[in-house]
Amino acid sequence: MAQAVSRLRHFKNIEFILGVLLAGTMTLAVLFSPLLFPGGGEQIDLAARLTKPFTDWTHILGTDPLGRDVLARVVTGGKISLLVGFTSVAGAVVVGVVMGLISGYYRGFWDMLVMRFADVQLALPFILLAITFIAIVGGGITNTIVLLIVSQWVQYARLVRGSVLSLNDREFIHAAKAIGVPDFKILFQHLLPNLAGPVIVLMTLNVATNILLESSLTFLGLGVDPTIPSWGGMLADGRTYLQNAWWVSVFPGLAILFTVLGLNLLGDWLRDLLDPTGRTET
Amino acid sequence: MKLGITRGALLAAVLAALPFGVTPAQAAGTLTISSPQDPGSWDPIDTFLVNWSSVATNIYDGLVYRGPDTKIVPGLATEWDVLDEGKRLRFKLREGVKFHNGEDFNAEAVKFTFDRLLGEEGKKGPQRSNYAVIEKVEIVDDFTVDLVLTQPDPVLITKLAGYGAMIVPPKYVTENEEDFVNANPVGTGPFKMTSYEPKVGVKLEAFADHWGGAPKLDAVEYRFISEPATAVAELQAGRVDIVIPPTIPISMVPTIEADDKLEIRSVTSPTVYALRFNTGNGITADERVRKAMIMAVDRKAIIDAVLGGQAKQIASFQSELSFGYDPEMEPLPFDQAKAKELLKEAGIAAGAPVQIDIRGNDATFGEVTQAVASYLQMVGLNATIKPYETNVLLNDIIPQGKTGEMFQQSWGGWTLDYDNTAYLMYHTGERWNPYDSDKELDALLESQRPMIDAEKREKVLQEIAHYAADRALEMPLYNLNALYGVNKRVKNFIAPPDSRMRLNEVEVE
Repeated sequence: MAQAVSRLRHFKNIEFILGVLLAGTMTLAVLFSPLLFPGGGEQIDLAARLTKPFTDWTHILGTDPLGRDVLARVVTGGKISLLVGFTSVAGAVVVGVVMGLISGYYRGFWDMLVMRFADVQLALPFILLAITFIAIVGGGITNTIVLLIVSQWVQYARLVRGSVLSLNDREFIHAAKAIGVPDFKILFQHLLPNLAGPVIVLMTLNVATNILLESSLTFLGLGVDPTIPSWGGMLADGRTYLQNAWWVSVFPGLAILFTVLGLNLLGDWLRDLLDPTGRTET
Repeated sequence: MKLGITRGALLAAVLAALPFGVTPAQAAGTLTISSPQDPGSWDPIDTFLVNWSSVATNIYDGLVYRGPDTKIVPGLATEWDVLDEGKRLRFKLREGVKFHNGEDFNAEAVKFTFDRLLGEEGKKGPQRSNYAVIEKVEIVDDFTVDLVLTQPDPVLITKLAGYGAMIVPPKYVTENEEDFVNANPVGTGPFKMTSYEPKVGVKLEAFADHWGGAPKLDAVEYRFISEPATAVAELQAGRVDIVIPPTIPISMVPTIEADDKLEIRSVTSPTVYALRFNTGNGITADERVRKAMIMAVDRKAIIDAVLGGQAKQIASFQSELSFGYDPEMEPLPFDQAKAKELLKEAGIAAGAPVQIDIRGNDATFGEVTQAVASYLQMVGLNATIKPYETNVLLNDIIPQGKTGEMFQQSWGGWTLDYDNTAYLMYHTGERWNPYDSDKELDALLESQRPMIDAEKREKVLQEIAHYAADRALEMPLYNLNALYGVNKRVKNFIAPPDSRMRLNEVEVE
């Protein structure tokens, strides 16, 4: 029994190490990109277009159809992708968790208001919402982040509300209520830690989805200025070249893959760390 | 087993006459075409889409016909005369022609077609304004008909070869509901439509009684495939024989060329691309700045690199097919030193912002614009690109004059006449001209419209092109070739410049 647990611990450590390694390397590279590539991969060189990777030391990962360095663009492009991915998820979590807690804990009128609103929003296809939203307020990074928050808080609200509904009947909540613990303390000290697991898992998945959503928005022409490199934009640009110049889209694709994988591993590890039931030996 | 052409067609006709449920055997005589767009309605007065014509050119005939060589030849009319100093066109009609439903073609059908186009029903569609110069249609006898015009129109004869001027059967159209007619077109053309599945495809079958002789194919199937990668994959797999424009992106040309079974047909098309200037406000209101921006961009290098030589540089906003094209005209040279000088003279500070509005779904043009932006950076302008959803850009941003300093304009124009471009781009108050108003240019544009002397009119059109270039109203970029992906089993297929292809001579192995 003890052995099994320690092996599990061991595995969790590998998860942690891999997660930090993958997501950490990507994040660090992206953070230090202005130092690594001061040009930001914006310099075009039509004579050197579609250079194959690993053939020219000035362009290790090759060049895109306009002769821009793929490595520089992948590293610089992460800025937009990570910024949009993380901030939109953070925003959606804050809004969604608060809404979910309120509607799950207080029920009644607030529950109905929030959940019907959520239903209405879930009934709208994302692209329709995106086109309407962008048509009214315009594109750009900030608006893209706001749009993603608006379209995704619902998932968190519903997840949290569901968990709160089942936790409400547990003894420790009854006990807390009985001894007169104030509502906000029950919400944030007793309920929230018990919800953290699924929320964090959803978050790590969502960062990945949002990086991809940002790319599809850019692809539809609703997102970020195409002169600024972003992973999604690079994927979209390279799509039609896939058969004769795979590197244009494969490298940004790998960047997304590594980041998302790293984040998922970290999320797993974090969930086990935070989950109160996970602390008992299972 | 090889059937004779007539026997094959006869067989098809016999099979078509059999009760519903019996499908003709999939003979080798079926051609499959991938088209990027479903026009929605097949009624000639309802459309302005080139991909409507890609199908409908086989279903309908006009009084005249214009083939891949862009020459006007007899269609349902065998000959015609210009009377009353260009204000009356007299057509002698072909006798013994029948519609697919058995109705007879005669002067009555011609009158019905134009009365409908110019009347209440035509008003609802986009075609009527193209033919507004026709005052009325007069029947002289059963097979002679006069078009009476309010003023001479040299382009009208071309317009009679397509779109709204396709002849429809009077009885069929009056007796059936509009929605039914839209989905079940009947004409006199070499193929008749047997089924139409919206957003999926249409099936055509040879019409053996066609006046020009039975077509060589038994059947033609069109599939609507808008995604380029899918269309090219289907072509490679042999499930599609021809992919018609505008589908194949430049980036996929090498893929098709590398395949032994396939070939690329690249033909000069009327499609031209430009980045037009906001001449109303901002730094581009200054002619010197506009010229500087044109000179700052190495357009030739962009065409050679990004477009793989599938395009030609242009000096004015028209292709060499266009009436009014001046082969002597030279584009402004690529000269960044001169560009910087001009910008300095105009008092433009370094880092002045330039916003370029483009359609978000056009991958190739997106790349071109990024290269343009990069060249503008080199002379100290801070260029950004703003992609829009196509409909938003075309229906709101441009007509309302809400663009940035530059905006994308791509233009086709199947009549191949510069008037059709220049008037709509430069005349005051036109939908595509939200910013500029130039009395002298307006006068030039108006003066050429009623000219019947072709030579004189061509001179004026060339003058307009020079005038627009001197004022640098747009950054002319390129004339993009029409790209067809064709399976080599297809024989006798001549790729037309305007996607309006007639398939009666085509064969498949």
